[in-house]
Amino acid sequence: MPDHLFKPRMNEDISRRSYYGKFIFNSHFLIFLTIAAGVFLYTLLGALQTIEYSIWLDITAALIMSLLVLPGYRSLLKEADGLFLLPYEKRMGGYFKNADRYSLSLSVMKPVIGGAVAVLILSSGHDLPAVIVFAIISALFYMANFHIRKNAINTDLSNVTLLVTVFVMNILSLFLILQHVLWVILPVTLTYALSLYVKSRSHKVLDWNAFIEYEEVQLNRYYRNVSLFTNVSHVDKQFKRRKYLDRLLWKPKGKAFNKENMYEFLFYRTFARDHDLPMIILRLIIIFAVVMIWISNLYLSVIIVLFGIYIIVLQLSQIYTAQAYLLWPKVWPVKREYIQESYIAYSHKLVFVISLIFAIIFTVVHPVYFYAATVFPLWGYLINRVLSKGVYKKEKELSD
Amino acid sequence: MVLKINHLTGGYSKTPVIHDISMNIEKGEIVGLIGLNGAGKSTTIKHILGLLRPHSGEIRVSGMTMADDAENYRRQLGYIPEAPVLYEELTLKEHIQMTAMAYGIDEDIALGRADELLKIFRLKTKMDMFPTHFSKGMKQKVMLICAFLAKPELYIIDEPFLGLDPLGIDSLIDLMINERSQGRSILMSTHILATAEKYCDRFAIIDNGKMITVGTLDELREEFGMADKNLDEVYLEITGGSRENA
Repeated sequence: MPDHLFKPRMNEDISRRSYYGKFIFNSHFLIFLTIAAGVFLYTLLGALQTIEYSIWLDITAALIMSLLVLPGYRSLLKEADGLFLLPYEKRMGGYFKNADRYSLSLSVMKPVIGGAVAVLILSSGHDLPAVIVFAIISALFYMANFHIRKNAINTDLSNVTLLVTVFVMNILSLFLILQHVLWVILPVTLTYALSLYVKSRSHKVLDWNAFIEYEEVQLNRYYRNVSLFTNVSHVDKQFKRRKYLDRLLWKPKGKAFNKENMYEFLFYRTFARDHDLPMIILRLIIIFAVVMIWISNLYLSVIIVLFGIYIIVLQLSQIYTAQAYLLWPKVWPVKREYIQESYIAYSHKLVFVISLIFAIIFTVVHPVYFYAATVFPLWGYLINRVLSKGVYKKEKELSD
Repeated sequence: MVLKINHLTGGYSKTPVIHDISMNIEKGEIVGLIGLNGAGKSTTIKHILGLLRPHSGEIRVSGMTMADDAENYRRQLGYIPEAPVLYEELTLKEHIQMTAMAYGIDEDIALGRADELLKIFRLKTKMDMFPTHFSKGMKQKVMLICAFLAKPELYIIDEPFLGLDPLGIDSLIDLMINERSQGRSILMSTHILATAEKYCDRFAIIDNGKMITVGTLDELREEFGMADKNLDEVYLEITGGSRENA
């Protein structure tokens, strides 16, 4: 029975990915991606023509590959499996083999693209055999890392520690084999040793709970990544206390302590304590800032910031969606309109601050054209209005 | 009259789950809403709260319907759901502040009222913690604190004793009696019939989406010819008989 279970689950996962893929890779994003990829290749090839070999090129190639040869594991197990599949544990071999193949295929594009970039980088200062050895070892790492990480689920080893160990091992090995091919012994030995160590720590029987939890984390991570581009109702929200931010969180006082302000009070806390959202926004700002500095082109910088603000505003609307459908706003003696009004007040303030940060970065990169930065808060305001309206409309339709 | 339900028929979709329900609750009265799983208790509660729209019939709370003045209607009600519903991102103190703002209570008054309740439920030291990290019973106590600090005219409590420790149950009963003595009313759905028998003034027995009967224990005994029987026995007789007939 378990053998027949994987295929429908895989199809379900593929349908999910194609469903959200349509939203992510919409025409606007594809245009942006094409421009960004074109600019990236153009600048990279231009730089490689003039740049002379240095150790930093090797480090960069090793870093890129080390980051991309860490495939995730998707068992597609469900919570109920811990109960219903338990008697079939010894017959789960076929299921898990299928899961291995599917997981490896899901992540394969990243090392292929990364490998192409790394090969371009290594074309300066390395001959073909060295590049081939580099590629083979990268492929070996891809497979080995997958099995090490998968086997580690059935141990008490810390996921983070293992990930860091594997990453350090990979970057060190890949860098060293670029210095001399004989270093190839190192990755082979290290990988084999680590595999044996992980296996030695493995539980005697399958830790169903660990595998199911791992799968839940992976699925949630997928939804969170998708939620960068579109609304996802499946995201299992998690929150962090972050006591150090308490002083910064606005609280209505005196006469303002009333129902008109209660949702704004709530929204600030939802944002500040969201497990991922503040960090995602921070990361997006850093990524867009780095790209802006690297490209250093006025028009592209403006496009990048506008796109960055668009993506961030899209992120913020999930907070409204999360609150509007809860039980209490339907039970409390408070007008539902206050949720919307409070969200407008909160989100415009937040978007203004984010636009301002982008404006400052832009002004630093293009000081002569500082006045162009005035368009960012305006864009933030408009895009927030447009996107929020869509969210309100959807909520109204659902509540009707 | 705090609650008056007149010939209520309703449910989650076009197919009705409850049929022609009628009952009322007077000021300062505790009424037990009793029925088997799936009898229609929660559906009735959701209709009273305005979470579902009646197919026909009318619900009045303190004389007004939801359509008359939704905000004022809701202000009369305090709801404690069977499973605690909490904001994962708010501390216990912030839950109290949110409730206070929602019911238009001054912050100091709310915190003063909450202080008493926090002592009763032994949560005073947890004010700055996320209640979502609490145990099920402690979460239920947070729900109780938020509802009781609002001091509504009618408390609607779905399975109030579920998940509470014996001390918590005792404190809740004391609170309920205290609220009754102050003229507030309580509608509670419960399966703990021994406790309900002791503290409820009347019982509304619902089965298969229909109100079988409403009355005091003596009235029920008389109606079903079961003198000297306790609520458990009366209830089993009524619902057991109806199952056999179904």
